[in-house]
Amino acid sequence: MSELLVEMTGISKSFPGVLALEDARFDLLPGEVHALVGENGAGKSTLMKILAGIYKRDAGSIQIKGRDEEVPSPHAAQSLGISIIHQELNLMYHLTVAQNIFIGREPRRGFLLDERALNAKAQQLFDDLHLNLDPRTRVGSLAVAQQQMVEIAKALSYNSAVLIMDEPTAALTDTEIEELFRIIRHLRDQGKGIVHISHRLEELKQISNRITVMRDGRYIATVNTAEAEIQQIISMMVGRTVFEATPELPEKRDPTVVLEVKGLNRGRQVQDISFQLHRGEILGIAGLVGAGRTEVMRAIFAADRPESGEITINGKPAAIRSPSDAVRHGIAYLSEDRKRYGLALGMDVEVNTVLASLRRFANSFGWIRTGATRKTALEHVQALAIKTPGIAQRVKNLSGGNQQKVVLAKWLTADTDVLIFDEPTRGIDVGAKSEIYRLLNDLAKQGKSIIMISSELPEVLRMSHRILVMCEGRITGELSAAEATQERIMTLATQRESVAAA
Amino acid sequence: MKLTRITSLAAGTMTLALVVSACSGSATTAPAASAAAASAQASSAGGAASAYVPPTDAGAAKGKTIAIISKGEQHQFWQAVKKGALDEAAKLGVTATYQGPATESEVDKQLTMLQTALSNNPAAVCFAALDSKAAGALLAQAQASKIPVVGFDSGVDSTIPVTTVATDNTAAAAVAADHMASLIGNAGTVGVIVHDQTSQTGITRRDGFLAQMAAKYPNIKVLPPQYGAGDAVKSADIAKAMMTANPDLKGFFGANEGSIKGVLNALKETGNEGKIVAIGYDSGQQQIDAITSGVEAGAITQNPIGIGSKCVDAAVDAINGKALPQKIDTGFSWFDKTNINNPEIQAVLYK
Amino acid sequence: MQTTTLLARSRVQSILRGDSIQRLLALGALLLLLAFFSAVVPHFASTNNYIDILTATAVNGVLATGVTFVIITGGIDLSVGTGMTFTSVVMGIVAVNLGLPLPLGLLAALAAGALVGSINGALIAKAKLPPFIATLGMLYVTLGMAQVISDVHPIYFDQQPAFQGFFMSKPIVGIPNIVWVMLGGAAIAWILLNKTILGRYTFALGSNEEATRLSGVNVDRWKIIIYAVDGLFIGLAGIVIASRMNSAQPGLGMGYELDAIAAAVIGGTSLSGGEGSVVGTIIGAFLISTLRIGLSVAGIPDQWKSVITGLVVIGAVWLDILRRRSRA
Repeated sequence: MSELLVEMTGISKSFPGVLALEDARFDLLPGEVHALVGENGAGKSTLMKILAGIYKRDAGSIQIKGRDEEVPSPHAAQSLGISIIHQELNLMYHLTVAQNIFIGREPRRGFLLDERALNAKAQQLFDDLHLNLDPRTRVGSLAVAQQQMVEIAKALSYNSAVLIMDEPTAALTDTEIEELFRIIRHLRDQGKGIVHISHRLEELKQISNRITVMRDGRYIATVNTAEAEIQQIISMMVGRTVFEATPELPEKRDPTVVLEVKGLNRGRQVQDISFQLHRGEILGIAGLVGAGRTEVMRAIFAADRPESGEITINGKPAAIRSPSDAVRHGIAYLSEDRKRYGLALGMDVEVNTVLASLRRFANSFGWIRTGATRKTALEHVQALAIKTPGIAQRVKNLSGGNQQKVVLAKWLTADTDVLIFDEPTRGIDVGAKSEIYRLLNDLAKQGKSIIMISSELPEVLRMSHRILVMCEGRITGELSAAEATQERIMTLATQRESVAAA
Repeated sequence: MKLTRITSLAAGTMTLALVVSACSGSATTAPAASAAAASAQASSAGGAASAYVPPTDAGAAKGKTIAIISKGEQHQFWQAVKKGALDEAAKLGVTATYQGPATESEVDKQLTMLQTALSNNPAAVCFAALDSKAAGALLAQAQASKIPVVGFDSGVDSTIPVTTVATDNTAAAAVAADHMASLIGNAGTVGVIVHDQTSQTGITRRDGFLAQMAAKYPNIKVLPPQYGAGDAVKSADIAKAMMTANPDLKGFFGANEGSIKGVLNALKETGNEGKIVAIGYDSGQQQIDAITSGVEAGAITQNPIGIGSKCVDAAVDAINGKALPQKIDTGFSWFDKTNINNPEIQAVLYK
Repeated sequence: MQTTTLLARSRVQSILRGDSIQRLLALGALLLLLAFFSAVVPHFASTNNYIDILTATAVNGVLATGVTFVIITGGIDLSVGTGMTFTSVVMGIVAVNLGLPLPLGLLAALAAGALVGSINGALIAKAKLPPFIATLGMLYVTLGMAQVISDVHPIYFDQQPAFQGFFMSKPIVGIPNIVWVMLGGAAIAWILLNKTILGRYTFALGSNEEATRLSGVNVDRWKIIIYAVDGLFIGLAGIVIASRMNSAQPGLGMGYELDAIAAAVIGGTSLSGGEGSVVGTIIGAFLISTLRIGLSVAGIPDQWKSVITGLVVIGAVWLDILRRRSRA
């Protein structure tokens, strides 16, 4: 075995009120992909942020290539050859690709910037990665996957020996993940050490050499991927055995059409969309990122006004001109970006729970009956098993899974018939995921109609009664639960009218 | 050529136009060219106001506090008022406090100042209201607490003040109009630049000027007044625009120090110094220099130091229970190149 | 080879869809306005009047150029107007009250501006005050300090005839030097913004401050520098306004900040940061003074001038929003 690139031992770190890491450790070899897994809040990101100089550790030692190092700042980490790609992309959308990559290290001629050299250097980097990207493009005009590539190119431009990727595939489609993995393997073969933080365990099987499991801020175990079973890793992560069997679907579906969409259009992303949603049904919407799935749902919800199209609710035409119209017609939309669109993060669980139905809790003078709101919030906290110290807890202090449950509680309180979930399990750990699945099934059994957008094919296959597949703003096919397979979905999802160079 | 004519005209009208405060003891002469306005001025100066004799000692008021709330503090004019008031207070042996808001639009701040002053229970209050109606409740409160109120400058539009110490701006602006008329030969187009269209001084000076022109000089066309916020640069841009729009413009009246400074800047920037008659208001270094060099034909000066000192005098009298005339006129003067160095003019100018 | 053509094409595309559209819009509006006034308002179309418009733009143009930097970072500077007053008074004190040579007075004005800017920057970057609050505070501090150090007396530059003599003289095509000073300042600002790392970080900060910080850029230091550059322009504006009045007036300055911000916004600078240009800002400043002077020459009452100026600001930003929406 070659010498360790990184060795972290006895790392502890506490934030006000929370012990985030306790005697954690981690090591990395050159030329390997080392996966770091654990539930949300297990301390993976914190540990890696310490390695990247973003947080300061309270205790423990870090050795880089056998030498003790302090790593006091991101800058210091970079000069030690450590780069991190954050879960949330950190790009300057108004700047070009090349400007983003070399921010802080711009080539200069005297006092002035050398834009030509800048673009040439970026082009060189892309050539090395066999990436087709124009260094002069504004980052804001790129797709998420391309932005991710920019982040990777930026990290590599520091000549990093160690590359940390925090959930790099969360926003990517399968083909894009393939492209990412190609690049990761390429880098691994060059002898770089890559840390891969992910929730997608299937993925780790493909790409990683070793897997380290963390739980509650502590190191649990490191296994060789080749010898590891997914089920075994999951039980190490959650500290218990998770029942992972496919939940049974209701045998018989109610044929009542709750929502019907006809000829919906808006720009390139929503083209002539028509479908029906039945009572008690979970309708999965599959497709690559950028296929227009979110855009269709936003158009139905009137978050963006459609250019044309009809929406019928319970057989009656509905004029939905704004999200508040949509809610009044019994449609709820749970955004994939919970923090931005789903929650008032600075407010407590109770307020968030009743936020969409405040009118019901207020008397005619606008006075809120706090007794009723408290009762409702408590009921939902219990029913959904929201892990919170109390209903007065600020939502921003909850984990991703529990935040998602609060969003759900909000719409259950609003008592809407149609619930549109956009990537309901994004950024949620395995344990919480299966709970969300169970909740969706329960809701469907109670007669709610659910539309679920998901980029994780196993999730779509497992949850949906029926699956619509989209590509480039059009619906390219419909599959029943029985006939759907990963291959068929992917075929439909790539049925493009024009094929862009990839 | 033109310049000398203007100067001689100015010299000719000077003696006629000089109107000095009766209180200052100088001779009062009504200008022939402005019978209506100036005779009103003369009568008020020679009537009730002349009866007012300032106290020579504080009497029972000695050591008591007079709160003075003015309309501003930054402007040179208000600095002169302040000096007059504080000097007079020191002379008489009373305590005077002086306060004013930063700009003449801050009615609310002025009310807060008045409220605070009243809470300290002064022996008398001198008040130059930015908005008399807005101050109504506080004035009633002063009356109820038996604190005499002396109005000054634009005064207080109410029956509560025991007297008002002020310049008759309407009459003064009429005198400016008379001078303008004779300087341009009673015919032609004239522009007016005013500091604002909401304050009492802005309104009375503008209307005094316009009314006199309308009543007396049918051949003079006065352009619609423009407003430059008393900002010398903004007023200059406005003056230039008026000159552009009216190539035949013969004269400018600037209704306060900032406005006339703007006119002077505009004349300088366009090379029209001496070609267009400029008449101003108040004083200040730039205006004094322009008048001395003949670029500015002349200006109306109030007597800010006199306003300040008479304020304190009236307050002392009010504390001592002496009867006061309804108005105490502090007078105004026309000054130009020929009389600017006279001691009675120098006494009221500020730099 | 292919890369170069690709690059060239994308440059054309980026010009077509980038901020330049807003600049073209503003420029179009300016030309339209000039054409309209020239056609409709008697006496408007004259060389002298055009020069008057240029002269009237000088002060606001310089201030707006400075404030453009901080607005691109996503900040704001409310202290530019009174800061300008402060710098002109400092210049008066150095060049008149202390009787030092004029160039020292000019340097003192620039230094005072840089000081005001640095304090703003330090309050924002180090003390973590929101820019609105920090610069609002400095608005009052600079106004008060201008009055304190001048003892609320205007300072006249009569003893320094070279001052107004230089700045208001018209050696080139009858345009006073203050206009060339404004354009020169704008040219320097353009180079700073587009060709130096200072400009790069200005845009980067406004686009995504956290990302810039994580990229190893010393964000706090650059913020202070950017606000100091803004301050230098405040100092330059202090010189320009003093030269027009041949004096430093300690009571002036309130309201100038809003004109400066309006000019930047009309010129396409986004108050949410990351976008903006000096060219646009200068066009915006010209638009405002053209409007004011055009309406004055036309004899429109003052109150309507304010209404129309306000509508133009709203209209400009609304057009920008419409453009973005249609692009998205």
